[in-house]
This record gives sequence, C-alpha cells and structure tokens, in this order.
Amino acid sequence: MIVGFAGKLYKNYEKDGIELLKEAIDEALEMAGLNYADIDGIMANIGRGSFHGNKTYLNPPVQISEYFGIKPKIIDHVQYGGPSVLSMIYRAYKAINAGDAETILCIQGGKISHLRDNHFQKTDIIDSPFDDYIKIYEQMSPISDYAMVAYRHSKLFGTTDEQRARVAVMQRYSASYNPKALFRNPITVKDVLQSRIVSYPLHLLEIVYPIDGFHVFVVSKRRGKSVLRNIDILAYGEAHWPNPPAEWDDIIYTPAIESAKRASFDLNRVDTFQLYDSFTITVMLQMEDIGLVEKGKVGQFVESHDLTFKGDVPINTGGGSLNTGQPAYMSGGVILEEALLQLNDMADGHQVKGADVVFLNGIGWWSRRHSVTLVLGERK
Amino acid sequence: MRDDEIRESYFKYFNEEKLPFIQCKNCGHRFYYPRAFCPKCGSSDVEVRFSKGQGKIFAMTKIYRKDGSYVVYGIVELDEGFRMYSNIVEGNQADIAKRVEVIFKEINGKKYPLFKVA
Ligand SMILES: [Zn+2]
Repeated sequence: MIVGFAGKLYKNYEKDGIELLKEAIDEALEMAGLNYADIDGIMANIGRGSFHGNKTYLNPPVQISEYFGIKPKIIDHVQYGGPSVLSMIYRAYKAINAGDAETILCIQGGKISHLRDNHFQKTDIIDSPFDDYIKIYEQMSPISDYAMVAYRHSKLFGTTDEQRARVAVMQRYSASYNPKALFRNPITVKDVLQSRIVSYPLHLLEIVYPIDGFHVFVVSKRRGKSVLRNIDILAYGEAHWPNPPAEWDDIIYTPAIESAKRASFDLNRVDTFQLYDSFTITVMLQMEDIGLVEKGKVGQFVESHDLTFKGDVPINTGGGSLNTGQPAYMSGGVILEEALLQLNDMADGHQVKGADVVFLNGIGWWSRRHSVTLVLGERK
Repeated sequence: MRDDEIRESYFKYFNEEKLPFIQCKNCGHRFYYPRAFCPKCGSSDVEVRFSKGQGKIFAMTKIYRKDGSYVVYGIVELDEGFRMYSNIVEGNQADIAKRVEVIFKEINGKKYPLFKVA
C-alpha cells in the first residue's frame, strides 16, 4: 500500500522550505503514478522554522493542504520528533483499511539550515513544561543528554569509545556505497576517536549533521502505475515515557523496550534493521532494547558482528542519518526510505540480498521519550 | 497550591538559597520538577519541602567549548530521593557516584541551584 516515496536531502537548500516539500511530493507522486487531486488524506510532522524563512506552521497538515489546494478527508499532525513518520504510516494504513480515505500523504522534514548555521532557535514553543528549570543550565540538548547516557553505559557495563566508534565506522562503510549519502569517504575507529569531543564521551563523528530535507510517503489503496511490492505492516508498537529522563528509573533504558515488546516480532525473521541513529549510542541502546542483545552487552556484540549491508546483522544499510545528514533534526524519514529501498530491491549499490522483512525502530524528542517499532514486509 | 504559585515559589526559594522539592501527601512520591499535582497518583494534595542539598552524581557529561574549556552538566540524585538536571562546578573531580552539595549561582540575573563536588 506504500505506492510511492521520495527523500530530497540538501546540505543547504536555497529556496523556501515549501518549495523543497513540493519537490519531494512531486517525486513521490510520480513514482506512484498519482496526482494531487488523488490525495484525500494528509499527515505531517515538520521541523520548526521550516517553511517561509523561519516561520513555523501551527498545524502543518492544515497549512500544507491550504497551500497546495488539497481537500483532505482526514488530517493528522503527529509530533513526537523523529519516529513520528513511522506512526503516520501505521495510521495511514489503518485509515485506508477502515475506508476513511484512499490516498494519504505522510510527510516529515523541513528546511533548517538557517537555524543550524545561526543557532537561531528562539521560539515560544517549549519542549517541556520544565524548560525554565532545565534549559537555564549550560547544556547542549540533545547531544549532552545522549552523552550522559553513553558515559553511564560505559561506567555500568564497560562499553568503550572504540566500541561506539565501530558503529560509526561500519555505517560509514555502507554509506560509501550509497549515492545519496552526504559523507562517503571511509573512516577508521582512530578517525572517530581523533575527532573533536563535543560532549564527553561523544565525538563529532558520532553525531548527526542537521540538514534540509523532506521525505514523502504515499500510502494508497490505488496502485496507480506503482511497481513497488505490496508492502504490509507485519508488526507495530509505540511507547511514550513523557517524564524528564532524570525522573526515569534509569536513563540507560529507552521506551524501545516497550514499543518492541508491543510489536512482539520474532527477530530471527528479520533481514535488515533500520535503527534510529542520531548518535552512535542511540543505535546501541536500541540494539539492546529491541532484544537483539542483552542490556550491557552491545559493546561486545558490535565487536563480533558485521553491521554493514554485507554483514551478518545488517543495520542502517545506507549508512543511516549519521551519513546522509538528519533532515530537520529528525531521522525517521531516512530509515523509512532505506527500508523501502531494501524491500523493493532499489538500494543502489548497497542492497541486502533477499531483504523481505525490515525491522525499524525510531526514537524521538530531545531526550528519547518516544519510541516506535515498525516491521515491514509482504504478508504471505 | 496553584500551578503558578508553586512555580513562582521555586524562584523565591532559590533566591533564599533553599532547594525545594515536592512531596505528595497522598502517596509519598517525591519529585523536583514543579507540578501542582502528583505525577504518580494524581493527587492535588502536595507540599513543597526543602532538601538538605546533599546528593551524588547519577549521570554527567563534559560539554566542550571551542577554546577547549568545558562545563559539566549532569543529573544529581539528592539524598531525599529525587533527581534533577544541573551544572556541576569543580568539574575535573566530578564523576558518577561522587558526592555533591548544592550551591547557588546567578544565571541571567536570577539565582539557581548548581552543585559542587563535596
Ligand atoms: Zn501521589
């Protein structure tokens, strides 16, 4: 039912965000063989300051519909950061199966290079009701938040900088075969460890680079001229831990523990994993929390397994957002696009042989409060 | 207590160099981030109490500036059982499980709780 998709990524997009979005919608509709007039549902999650200069739409699916002349039967604004687009796919499938709409656009991304370069983040949008008691401190969320997790993980389990660096190195290897990757030159563990420490223990090469970009996915009961496989949702689960992580039992766990349990999918059936990769440690936390490896053992696991697209446990087979860049501070579109490329034998240069089942996990918000598990494949 | 009263009272106490936290009179749950009701049981019967300001570092990172200097940011667990984010001064002795005590410093013209290694 995903009949078209597109990801348009730029380090610096020159025109306005709305024009970048049109590029992505046009390409996704082209793949689907459908027109704007066919769209009767729209779901979106857009980075703040993304559309006209640094303007933020209050309810993006509404204002995007207004701009493009779309008259939807259903609208959904899913906003819990990176994994939101994974939830949109699930909701779009449900809506179409229920007969609420026929063709739904799922959109995530934004144009944020002006914010990245000027650190212009002043806004009346708050990330937490407790910003006044948290953000007054010198910090660097989300980097400092994940850095604390990485350090506590090493203290408790002996996870080393080298082990984390291996994740970056293996993803870069896959990226070197991905024409869409922004960073493609091979790197070594030494390169990662010699890159600047941004927030101890995280190095620059362990952290995503925010870029301009939109991903658009067309979910429809109409096949149009689409040649994509008839991909179904084999499992789904989401979990939300809305408290500040300081109030959690421990910060080394993520809600992926619960979203994966809700999806309850046999990992032996999985051909490739696409795990949210805002940082090296994010990938490792999910490897533990989805049940691929016991909590605390991921360091040894990445030393004894090959995570590249050629490997025994292929994870983030296009190099992940660590190497494509992270559109509007949200990586969900990157991992979903890669999953669909793999499932449709379209992963140019980095195809996993016989990729029939892809396990995705997304983590969201500046402090990992949201997790979405989505397993895609053909229902046989 | 009303939400605005409870939030404002925090700034007043910081100014008096007191570290507040909230205890639920219904279930006993203790928390730092100010709410007019308990996030555990939903009761509005909550009261502001004061911490002794002693605790230990639960998690931390050193955030490096371009000039090579750094600031320590972390999560502190107070002996009363609640946790909060803060900056920790005397950074190079800071580490997970090290004892810390509260100090107050001005940030943007207002006093806030920070911690120093004990
Ligand atoms: Zn209570």
